[in-house]
Formats: sequence, C-alpha cells, structure tokens
Amino acid sequence: MGSLFRSEQMCLAQLYLQSEAAFACVSKLGELGLVSFTDLNPNVNAFQRKFVNDVRRCDEMERKLRFLERELKKDQIGVYDNGDNPPAPAPREMIELEAKFEKLENDMKEINTNQEALKKNFLELTEMKQILMKAQHFFEETLPFNDDDTQGGASEYARLLDEQPESKLGFVAGVILRSKLPSFERVLWRACRGNVFLRHAEIEMALEDPVTGDVVNKSVFIIFFQGDQLRNRVQKICEGLHATLYPCPDTSNERREIAIGVMTRIEDLQAVLNQTEDHRHLVLTQVALNIRVWFIKVRKIKAIYHTLNLFNVNIAEKCLIAQCWCPTNDLGKIQDALRYGTEVSGSSVASILQQVTTEEQPPTYNRTNMFTESFQGIIDAFGVSTYQEVNPAPFTIITFPFLFAVMFGDFGHGLLMLVFGLVLVIREKFYLAQKSADSEIWDMIFGGRYMILFMGFFSMYTGFLYNECFSRSFNVFGSSWNVSAMNFDAVTLGNASALDLDPVTPGVYRGYPDNYINGSGYPYPYGMDPIWQSAENKITFQNSYKMKSSIVLGFAQMLFGLTLALYNHIYFKDRLSIICEWIPQMIFIWCIVGYLCVIILFKWITWKDPASAPSLLIGLINMFMFTAPSKADGTFLYTGQSTVQIFVVLMIVFCLPWMLLAKPAVIYYRRRQKANRYAPLKSDSSTTRGLENPNFAEDVGKSQRNYNLAGGEMADDVPIIEQDQLDVESNSIQQTEPDPDEKDFSEIMILQIIHTIEFSLNCISHTASYLRLWALSLAHSELSEVLWTMVMHIGLSMAPPAGPIVTYAVFWFFAVLTVGILLVMEGLSAFLHALRLHWVEFQSKFYKGQGYAFLPFSFESIIQGRVDE
Amino acid sequence: MGLFDFAEVGFNVDNGFLEGLTRGFKNGVLCKEDYRHLTQCDSLEDLKLHLQSTTYGNFLANEPSPLTVAVIDDRLREKLVVEFQFLRNHAYKELATFLDFIKYSYMIDNIILLITGTLRQRQLSELLPKCHPLGIFDQMETVTIANSTADLYNAILVDSPLAPFFKDCISEEDLDEVNIEVIRNTLYKAYLEAFYDWCEGCGGATAEVMCEILGFEADRRSFIITINSFGTELSKEDRAKLYPRRGKLYPDGLTELARADDYESVKRVAEHYTEYRKLFDGTGVGIGEKTLEDKFFEHEVTMNVNSFMQQFQYGVFYSFVKLREQECRNVIWISECIAQRHRSKIDSYIPIF
Repeated sequence: MGSLFRSEQMCLAQLYLQSEAAFACVSKLGELGLVSFTDLNPNVNAFQRKFVNDVRRCDEMERKLRFLERELKKDQIGVYDNGDNPPAPAPREMIELEAKFEKLENDMKEINTNQEALKKNFLELTEMKQILMKAQHFFEETLPFNDDDTQGGASEYARLLDEQPESKLGFVAGVILRSKLPSFERVLWRACRGNVFLRHAEIEMALEDPVTGDVVNKSVFIIFFQGDQLRNRVQKICEGLHATLYPCPDTSNERREIAIGVMTRIEDLQAVLNQTEDHRHLVLTQVALNIRVWFIKVRKIKAIYHTLNLFNVNIAEKCLIAQCWCPTNDLGKIQDALRYGTEVSGSSVASILQQVTTEEQPPTYNRTNMFTESFQGIIDAFGVSTYQEVNPAPFTIITFPFLFAVMFGDFGHGLLMLVFGLVLVIREKFYLAQKSADSEIWDMIFGGRYMILFMGFFSMYTGFLYNECFSRSFNVFGSSWNVSAMNFDAVTLGNASALDLDPVTPGVYRGYPDNYINGSGYPYPYGMDPIWQSAENKITFQNSYKMKSSIVLGFAQMLFGLTLALYNHIYFKDRLSIICEWIPQMIFIWCIVGYLCVIILFKWITWKDPASAPSLLIGLINMFMFTAPSKADGTFLYTGQSTVQIFVVLMIVFCLPWMLLAKPAVIYYRRRQKANRYAPLKSDSSTTRGLENPNFAEDVGKSQRNYNLAGGEMADDVPIIEQDQLDVESNSIQQTEPDPDEKDFSEIMILQIIHTIEFSLNCISHTASYLRLWALSLAHSELSEVLWTMVMHIGLSMAPPAGPIVTYAVFWFFAVLTVGILLVMEGLSAFLHALRLHWVEFQSKFYKGQGYAFLPFSFESIIQGRVDE
Repeated sequence: MGLFDFAEVGFNVDNGFLEGLTRGFKNGVLCKEDYRHLTQCDSLEDLKLHLQSTTYGNFLANEPSPLTVAVIDDRLREKLVVEFQFLRNHAYKELATFLDFIKYSYMIDNIILLITGTLRQRQLSELLPKCHPLGIFDQMETVTIANSTADLYNAILVDSPLAPFFKDCISEEDLDEVNIEVIRNTLYKAYLEAFYDWCEGCGGATAEVMCEILGFEADRRSFIITINSFGTELSKEDRAKLYPRRGKLYPDGLTELARADDYESVKRVAEHYTEYRKLFDGTGVGIGEKTLEDKFFEHEVTMNVNSFMQQFQYGVFYSFVKLREQECRNVIWISECIAQRHRSKIDSYIPIF
C-alpha cells in the first residue's frame, strides 16, 4: 500500500553518540527532519540540564541580534534575504559569532549614545532658538518699557512697575510639551495665586525626542513674576511638569547676539549629526546583509543544544544516549546522517543507532506534499489517526470536492472558483516567497489552494449536470420535449401563461428510446433538460431527483467507509471484530439503507407511467409495519416484494443481537477458558494477569510511562539488544491488536452496547443527514435564481436606450452579490457541510483518530517559527 | 438593591470580555510548583530561565546579562501595568470607576513618597523612578512646591481625583514627617471609606466580595496604625481619627483599639474576632515564626483567591491586581535571596495557589 493509505511505519531507536560527535550528528538530523527525540530527563529542571549554559549563550546572542534588528527597523532598512540556508556552525565557530555580535552591539550602542547626546544638544539649541525668536515677539508687543524704562509707557506692566518702584519684574522662559500646557497654566495660577503672567506660543515645527525618537509638539512660554520667592516657586513647578528653562537675556541686542551664536552652533551640529547618521547607516547596512543568516545559525545552534538537553549523559563511556522515534523506511538516511556527522566531527568511534522494542504506541506520521497537505489537514483537524489505521485523506481528495460540488453545483460559480484556485496555484512560488503577508485568513485560503481548485472543477462538473450557469441553462442539444405535439390551438397558446405538457401524449416527450411507449428519440444527452429552467414545477421535479440522489450518494460513501473498516480489521488481524461486528453491520446497513437505494434505482430505471408511480416513502413505512404492498396505496413495485421485505426486516432485527452480544460472549467464553487453564497457577503467583484485578490496566499504563526513564538506564547495563526488524514489525501489530484482557468485562459490555446503539441509530440519522446535499444545493440554486431575476433581469428586460445603461449599472451590483453571497458565503457553508459529512458520517464508520502526530526535530520548522523550542 | 435586581444578566454585555481576560490572567499566576522551582535556582539567570517556562515567557529576553533584581522588579511591574492599562482602556462605565479606585491607592502612595522625599532634600529625578507607574498622574510631580496641606490641596490636588479624600486633612501646618504619616493615613481612610461605600452601592456580588476584602483592609490598617503608634507622640484621640470606619472592627473594636496601650491589649481586641484571632496567634519575629504582617498578607491572598469563586462581579479585577502584586513581591523576595546568597529565608514568600 502506498504511504498515503496508512501512516508510516515507525520504530523507537536509541542513538549512542560520542560526546564530541553529538553536536554534528544532531545538526545533521535537524537538517534531515526525520526523527523526533523523546525527553530522557523529564524530572530534571530546565536550568539543571547539561547544556543549559550553551543555551543561555545562544539566548544572549539572539538578544543581541534582536537588538540589531530593532535598530534596523528604526532606520527602516530592509533585511537582505537571498534564501541561503547555512548549516549550523560548529561549536568553536560560536565563539567567533559571539565576539562579532558583542562588537556590533557595543558599536551600535556607542553610536546611539553619541547620537542621542548630539540630538539632545540639537534639540536644546533648537528650543533656544525658538525661545529667542518668540521672546522677541512677546517683548515687542507687551513690554516696550523693558528696553526703555524711562518712558513708563501705557502698558499695564509698566503701571504695575510704577506702584512698586523698588522691585523689578523678573521672568523665566522655557519650553513645555503642548499637551501639558493647560495643566501647567492652572497649577501656576493656583500656586502663585494669580501673581504671575504667562505668555505662550506654539512651536510650529515638530521636534524629535532624542531618547525615544518620537515626534513631539511643544510650546514656548515666558512667565513674568515679582520677587525671588515666586521665582523659586515657578522654577519648581517648571521642574515638576518637565518644562525646560533656558536663559534669556533682558535686552533685545543681547538676544540677537545669542541668537546668531545659536544659529551657527546649530549648523555645526547638523553637520556632525549627518556624519553620525551616515556612519550608523553604514554599520546597519552591513548588519542587514548578514542578520538573516546569523539568526538562522543561532537558532540552529540553540535548537541543537535544546535537543542535547533531552539526552542521557553517560559519563563513563563518554557518550550521549538519545531515544527517538523515526520512520522505519528512513533508517538508512538517518544512519547516513549519523555517519556523516561523525566524520565531520573527526570522532574515531562511530555513532550507533539501535532499534528498541516498546509497548508504547508510535506516533502517526503521514508524509504529505504541497498537494495532499490541505486534505491531510482536514483529517488531522478531526483527530490524528491511530497508528497505522486507514488514513481517509487520499479518498478525501476526491470525495470532499465532489460532495462540496453537489451542494455548490453551478457552472459559472464553479468556473470563478476554478480560476481563483488556478491563479493561486500558478503563482504559488510568488506567494510562497512573500512570507511577509502574515494574515491568518490568507494563509488558510492559500494553504487550501489545491482544494479550491478541485472544488471549482467539481462544481463545474455538477453545474454542468444540473445545467445551471448563474442559474441559467444551456440549450446545446435542444430539449427532448416537444410542445407542438400537444396540438394546442392558437387561442390557448395566446392566452395561457403556462401550459401543461403531458409526457404520455405521443410525441411530447421524446425522451424514451423507440421501443418504449411513446418513444421516439433519446433524452437530453446529459444532466437536466434545459426545458426545466422555464417549467413551473422545476423545484418539485428537482427536489425529488436531488433528494434521492443524495441518499444514494450518502449510502455509497457510508458503504465505502464500512469497507475501509474491513481493511482495518484485516490489517490488525482482528478476526473477532470482522465476524461479530463488521458482517452484521454490513448486513444491517444494506437492509436498512441499501434496500431503499435499490428501490430508488429500480423505480428510476423501470417506471414508465407517471400516473401510477409508487410512493417509496409510504412503501418504506409500510415495510416496517409488515403491511403487504398493494397497487391501491401506491406501494407496489415488483412481484414477490412482500416476501423480500419481510425478509429484510427480519434480517435487520436479527442483526441487532448479533452486533450486541456476539463479541462480548466470545470474549467471555475465551476468558473463562483461559482462567480454567491457568487456575492452578493463579493462587500462588502474583504475576498472573488476574481478571478480577481492575487495576491491571492502570499498572500497565504506569509501567509504560516509566519506560522512558528506564530506557536510559537499561541501555547502560545491557550493551546492545539484538533485535530483528521483523520482530519490531510483528511486535507493533501485536501491540495495536486490542488486548481484551486489559479491560474489565462490564466495561466491554457497556462499550458494545454503546457501539451497537450508535451504529444502528446512525444508519438512519446519517442517511437523513446526507439530505443536506439536497437542501444546500436547492438553497444555492434558488439564491442564484433570485439574484438573477431580481437584479440582472431588471437590466436585461429594459428596452434601449435605458436598457444597456441600467444593465451596466446593475451588473456590478450583481457581480458583487454573486461573489460575496454566492461564492464566499454559500461556498463556506457548503464547505462546512462537506466537512461535517466527512468527519461524522463517513469517518465514524471506520476512523478512530486516537493517535498523536509525529513532530520531527527539523530546523526548517524551527526557523520558520512553527515549532517553539 | 431591590428584590428583582438582575444586574448579573447584563454583566457580560459590558464586562464579560474583561472578566474572562482577567480570569485568564489569573490562571497565569505562579503556583506552588513554580515557586518550588524558583527557590531551587542558583542564580538570577536560572530564575530567568525558569520564568521563561511560565506565562511570563520572554519578558526578560531582551535584558543584557548580568541581570539585577532591580531590572526584574521593573519588568514585573511593567507587566502588571500593561495588563492593568489594557483592562482600564477597555473598561466601561462602572468598571472604569472601579479600576480608577484601584489606581487611587497608588496615587496616594506616590504623593506621600514625593513629599517625604522632598522633605529629605532628595532630587525629584531620584524619586520619580520609585513611584508606582499605576499611580502616576499629571500634577503629581508638582507636589514638591507645597509647604502645607492647604497649599497642597489648593494648588495641586484640587483637580486631581484625590481631591475628595483630602478634605479631612487640610490645615495650615507645615509639612513634617509625623504630619505626613497622618496625612497618608487620613487619605487612606477617606479612600477606603469611599471605595467601600461605592462597592456597597453597587450591590450584588460585587458588594458581597469587595466589602469583605476592603473591610479587612480597613481593619488591618487600624491594627497596624495602633501597633505602630506605640512610643510615638501621636495622641490617642488623633490616632482614633485615623481608623477607617468600615469593616468588622467598626464600631466596637475601634473604640477598644483607641484605648489600647500596648501590643497585648491590641491582641485582646483581636481575640473577639475569629478571623483575627487566628492571625495574632503564634506570630513572632523568631526563625520559623511568621510575622503579623505576613499573616495579614496570607489572609489577604486567601480572600483574593476566593473572590474568583464568584462571577459577575468586579472583585476579580481588584483581586487580580492584588494577587499579581503579591506575586511580584514573592519573585522579588526570592530574587533578592538568590542575589544576596541569603538562602535561609528564601521560603518566606507567600504562596498564592
């Protein structure tokens, strides 16, 4: 069987790695990505492990790299990505890297401090300039006396000065964040009891905060007050609200002089700042070239040390012992990797891979490629398959898009979806390279691109059969219905809005071949006859057709699921389940649903006279009531029907106890025999698996859990256990075969009861559940028809000149609604229903899904951040 | 609240998301197992490594080695602040008021810290980092200009949210050390009373849970004030004014406490109350004995943990903040013990779960 059909065969292996070769070997295995290591020291704290210091060094390196990355982001320098994937560097190279990062970090920090200091200086000077400019303005409009005291002027400040001639007005000037200005003003007024005068003006240009690099808005203010006490107070308030004060001379001449000085200094500083900026940019461009490779290297080293921490250290033999799961088919590759790793490290002693037998359930590993990935994803989302049971994914590739399409059947909608899928698939490489688009929704759509492609394709197929394209039909071959054969007269034709076509009238329906009654031709070559598009009873006709085909499709899928169950039973050599479960289940489902499908098909194929068509529903109900079918109540199908139906019902009734009791009875019988055989031993031996000991299963579980611990120690004592590959294989089969001894009998009985009830009820409820195929398909075709008649039809039915214009306008409306409602919303709902049909109706027949996924130690997934080490 | 009060029905409309979030945060609070691992650490680097495996995650990942306790403290506090701010920013109506009430206690602490610092001639730049980031408000830093409480109120605090708590302690007296303690306690008293009354007004489960916790807080303050007042110049009348008039001690217990002269008499008061008797029993300063303070903390932690048992109430937010705070104290205590190689006392943290 192909690898898709069952999960990969796995084996537990122990690796004996020489201490010096361990790093290189693990590095190779990481590139390979085929082994998953188990933790041999689960009881040891994270910080007590052997290589914790190396992990810490890696953390430190990563931190430095992150720092550099942040700096890159701050300067908006893109990281250079050439798709390189360097191998993990040897441990000795790590020191080099560390030194390099250390130097870079220090350089960067130094540059930053310098730049910050310069910027701060620059900011101060700029603020100073602003103050001088604005102050000039303030003084000019309010304080003429300050320049010329003797004039005494008309200003109120001068008058204030007059009243207390001995005291002089003082002032301070500074800059404050614009957002703090109102509270500053309030506090100032309150704390100084209104005895100060504040003037402020906004600085128009935005300033840069030297520490955070944020852009801030500030205001210049100037405060006038009297006396030293107030000056103290004002200064304290300024300090409290983070206002910066600058010295501002009294006279305008001085101010002008200082302003000139400030200007020249600003110019000088600007030059220096530019130089620092250039230097910084130079360093960062260098960093940008390499940072991606560095990140990969460091992450790889870190992952290796993390893995080494999982190993057992054997000090005496100077080797590390690892335990891992790996696919049996890839043992060769793993051996090669180990050999290569040993060679690279120059170690003299080879690394050894040793298979180990175990009772543990191996992980489930399904190899996927880009195409199968999304389908496997659907299955895994429900539950990872139990080790080596039949994997439904390969069948899902066809059945899923098909069931989806049954609900979504429309040629036009399918075509749009197909085109969308095709675009994604064809431009796949381009989108894969664009990793930056970190949108979860996009990832989901892109991940399912092959599924979308298939769903589109199948929808076109079913749309073709339904003969619907945006709810309109194609008439390629001409309808097989003939109105003229009805011989309506002109009056009837002229007046009636609808006319009855009677298929029994000769020549009206040409659908039957010549040898049939009224036969004169052939039905429409494929799917629905286009005449139904304009028929009033279109829905009634299609309902009956789609309802029945849903049930037939559902039965086929359930039957297929049950067949897969047989494969499982055969593979796990579970003959008991085949005889006591599978066979009665098969009979049961055939009798209850299969018979219905048979009569549906029978009626489709053989019934010719529409007037006396039998009612299958009533017939089915009557069957269970043991009422003999008769032509009178329209339940008669064929001669001998009554006998057959009684037999079918009896079979159903007979299967129930078979499913319910046979298996527990056999188990009970076997156990009694076994107990009789071992009876003499039972009294004196504690090793006997006592039936009465309900704790036994728990004990087994415990010993399995302890196995990890014991594994390491065992390997120390026992050199190498000779173990054939065949043995492992047979062992794994034995182990997965349900061992009835492990469970209590009452538990088995209860489980059997549940299974039986579940199966028999599900046969009916699941069949009914498949009717969603019909329901959704009906909803879809109705919605698209409504959209056509209510929107597009308005435009198309208008006469020119308004017609084309309205059609143009209405088309966009139609297009948006088609994509939004019919494609996206209806598509999602059909998708969900198809998903449910697979998870519940199909998989419940055979799928246990109790495994756990194989998570290999792989650099690829670690670097992409999919695995958090 | 009336008989037909269905406040719970609408609770989730406004606060459901935040309550869920807070309960999620609470699940991230370190448990006994974590503390056991932490106490086994040999260095702060080990501690960092272990904290990485908890919900703290990589919160120290960007700190250069060597780590210091101060850095850990900052980061821990930052995490609490980020979480709290998120809650506050998304809070609606009553919950917003409630969360603001939680913030007020930090504001009071900050103001007192700044005034004391200024009295001791410390620089503002030196004091600011010590302020709790939850209690920072605009005018806070200008408190240094005030010389008297009246000044403080009129100039600065009048339009801060603390103004209503301040009305009891306005006087023209100059600020000095004793004064400041009195102010702190008066403020706290007013704050607790207001918070208590507000919660009571909320009714329902909020009142049930919060009045219990705040009542305890009030009683604890009364006890501590009394015990600390022995041997100081604080008169009995003044002391009695500082007791928050809520909680189990009010009114009888407080009257008795007001008369207490020594530790024994305080203990006698506590004897009357089952909860508090337990706390006073077997306390001491010797090795292996727990201090009264620790006992109070433990009781507080139990109450806060229990507050999560009730749904549709604001208590969880208060309790979460308090539990996180206790956790910060624990981690810092353990870090200090590790950093100072003083391992004998490392186990004196207060486990939460």
